[in-house]
Amino acid sequence: MGDLVETITRGNVAEVKVILASVVLALAVYQLVLITVGYGVTRPPFLSSRAASFAHRAVGDAIAVLLVVVAIMCLSYFGLEDDAGVHVGAASALLVVLALKILVIRRWHRLSRMLPMLGACVFVLLVATWATSAGDLLADR
Amino acid sequence: MTRQVLGSLIVALLIVVVTIVVVTARLGTTSTAELDLREELQEERIELQEERLKRLEEQREERGERRDDRGGRG
Repeated sequence: MGDLVETITRGNVAEVKVILASVVLALAVYQLVLITVGYGVTRPPFLSSRAASFAHRAVGDAIAVLLVVVAIMCLSYFGLEDDAGVHVGAASALLVVLALKILVIRRWHRLSRMLPMLGACVFVLLVATWATSAGDLLADR
Repeated sequence: MTRQVLGSLIVALLIVVVTIVVVTARLGTTSTAELDLREELQEERIELQEERLKRLEEQREERGERRDDRGGRG
């Protein structure tokens, strides 16, 4: 699997990972904007709350796919490094909370009042995961 | 509503494109082709230096032999 990742990225595994993680983070910030419109916190005249919620769901699906791809790249190529404890912890928690959020959206509708809290957790964990890997690399350049 | 959703998704696409451009610019060129080229150039430079050193050494040896020859005749 590690070889496949290296071939696909043409040897630039870390760089591709940083770009994908940064795209996910940028989209996550956009998700916050969309959901504030979706919940009616802000009411711009050009975007209804229903349309914002729909776009939030679509972008969220794309983010979930990207996160799984980045996680597979990370695990198969870099593995679980000893000096990346915070990154591994934040990333693992992020995947667990995201899976829980998806389950609440698709199956456990009774828990839907937890969605804002789960979304906030996903965002915080995403920032922590990005900052301890991609952020570090970008700061060094 | 469809137009609004499409607009939101186009904004998302724009965010993706801008992020890729900005982060790639920040990372700089690190393609394997570029790195290979850099490595090749470095190797060439080292080879040239080694050749120059060899030539200098040979010239020094030649000069030394000439001096020895002159000394032998004298």
